[in-house]
Amino acid sequence: MRQSSQCTIVSAIVCLCFGAAAPKALADETCNSPYISNLIKGQEDFVHVWTLGVEGLGDGSDKLVTVDANPASKSYGKIVNTVSVGGRGEAHHMGFTDDRKFLWAGGLDDSKIYVFDVGTNPSKPKLIRKITGLPAKTKFVGPHTFYALPGRMLIGNLSNTTDKGGVTGMALYNNKGSLIARYDMPTASLGGVKGDGYGYDIAINPAKNVLLTSSFAGRQNYMRELGDLIKDAEAMKHFGSTMVVWNLKSMQPTQVLSVPGAPLEIRWSLAPGQNWAITAAALTSKLWLIKQGEGGAWSAREVGTIGNPAQVPLPVDISITAAGKGLWVNTFMDGTTHYFDLTDPEHPKETYQRRIGSQINMISQSWDGKRVYMTSSLLAHWDKKGADNEQFLRAFNWDGHALAPAFEVDFTREKLGRPHHMKFTAKANQSRTLAALAR
Amino acid sequence: MLRFSRRVAACLLILASAQAAVDVSPASAPRMEFTPLAPGTYRLPAIQSVENATLLDERAHPVRLSALTQGKITLLTFFYTYCVDPLGCPFAHQTLTLLRDRIVQDGELARAVRFVGISCDPGTDTPDALARYAADFATDSRFEWRFLTARSVSALLPVLDDFGQDVSVDVDDSGRATRALHHMLKVFLIDERGRVREIYSLAYLQPQVMLNDIGTLYLERRARAFPTR
Repeated sequence: MRQSSQCTIVSAIVCLCFGAAAPKALADETCNSPYISNLIKGQEDFVHVWTLGVEGLGDGSDKLVTVDANPASKSYGKIVNTVSVGGRGEAHHMGFTDDRKFLWAGGLDDSKIYVFDVGTNPSKPKLIRKITGLPAKTKFVGPHTFYALPGRMLIGNLSNTTDKGGVTGMALYNNKGSLIARYDMPTASLGGVKGDGYGYDIAINPAKNVLLTSSFAGRQNYMRELGDLIKDAEAMKHFGSTMVVWNLKSMQPTQVLSVPGAPLEIRWSLAPGQNWAITAAALTSKLWLIKQGEGGAWSAREVGTIGNPAQVPLPVDISITAAGKGLWVNTFMDGTTHYFDLTDPEHPKETYQRRIGSQINMISQSWDGKRVYMTSSLLAHWDKKGADNEQFLRAFNWDGHALAPAFEVDFTREKLGRPHHMKFTAKANQSRTLAALAR
Repeated sequence: MLRFSRRVAACLLILASAQAAVDVSPASAPRMEFTPLAPGTYRLPAIQSVENATLLDERAHPVRLSALTQGKITLLTFFYTYCVDPLGCPFAHQTLTLLRDRIVQDGELARAVRFVGISCDPGTDTPDALARYAADFATDSRFEWRFLTARSVSALLPVLDDFGQDVSVDVDDSGRATRALHHMLKVFLIDERGRVREIYSLAYLQPQVMLNDIGTLYLERRARAFPTR
């Protein structure tokens, strides 16, 4: 009943604005920043889950939950550590620093940024720093995407301090936590398309000196109850419908691309020489391909459909395989994951789907693609209600044909909250830091 | 003023030769499929200041790090002399050698730039070892290329920490350190005031881009020395 009513709600969003969306994700081993060292190309030991607190559930705070993900471990599939941040600020996404020693995690509501040490002992992350000055120093709120550059962290935000709308920008911090620069999302016309100023994801192709950004919605939308939001026709006009091409070196926007339907996660193909990226537009349920033409200009073109757009499946997170030949797409409303064959990125073909739960959002896959992890929560005010409000981490094995359940953690039963973004770590094995050896 | 214009023009001529779309760097270099922006047409933000420290040079003389990170445009990297990782220290020094050879084509630019290498294994890389190593690189008297080590790991750690340069060491079954070091290749571009303005990791180690970044800082330095009225 609840699910049915929410499908109706989301259908209304699409009808009203044809460009609204829903959030989610940066996550897995294949979607890390290209500047991150030590990719885990074998078995990950731990999956860290940035989890939204729920009032009255456990301590009610946002927390980093660490789950043992190594089948050879005695605690496989079990929670081995939690770090509560002592408050509830709409925990959402996180990202490694370039040396993979630290995880930066943000709150969309309170705009706080937490830095966890996951390098010293990945089984027991420690909160080492809180950064609270983002709104005051940048006028941006809603830190969403954490994207490593050498020695610094580029943060894509969702909103601003002035009107809490979708016009926003990016903030650049050094790894010590000091603000270096801020960059407004463009609102002028570039390449014949007017910028909407909205932000969401960040993805860089160093070989092309190109940074891509996508667009979602401001705080006044993402922090509202979905039922209230869709009744507000004016608010429903305020969702992103653009992507922006930036010159990475100068951090200047060079092109605005029209991508209606709230383009969310961006994934560059990781195959050498394959300079294309793909994204999913949440409200229109379409896949878009971004590539460069012979004249040097970039273009975005619709190349595929996810599920039945009339039923508003609401694609949220996507995950590309390391070879760039396959793409996982999670659709929130029907709790289903879809696998697309990307052998021809101009014509993605869905070859597999499986219902995972009453709702799903984030998806992370191992580098070899053999293990896939999914979590359930979208946003505190957008998750389903009642019995459909399942909150879980579910792990699967993938043999190229079908998903086989591996383990599951019930985040409600464990009194943890709403699980969202995931990142992997591995033990250091036979190496020690120079600092540890000096002690 | 006339001299400034000539010098800048000469500098830009050298740097312009590095703007072709096809990278002439070694085959193992990161892919670069774009034409870099011309020097001076963009700004490099100040990422962080460099903390001071006392290290040792090839003659075992104490050297304040600030003396080698200020006053010139500096490219600084961490290395160890016995590194054989083809995409590690040898690759970094190969890239730096290529850059050095281009920079020395302009005498004034050459005097405005220096390279600094700091060993991350002070136990093995003694001043004598550094001197032998430097003989392979610091061979052009027109250019300052310095190599440093530390009295101890403890003396080095604050420097590594300041630069965010992680170094780990493989240990044997009894927990003793071996000679297998791991560090993330980074090259730091530091302006004459001791501020890090760019950091190049492997995906970023594109010689043409690095040369143009040096040119950007060089033009910035000249603009301060000869402000336009």
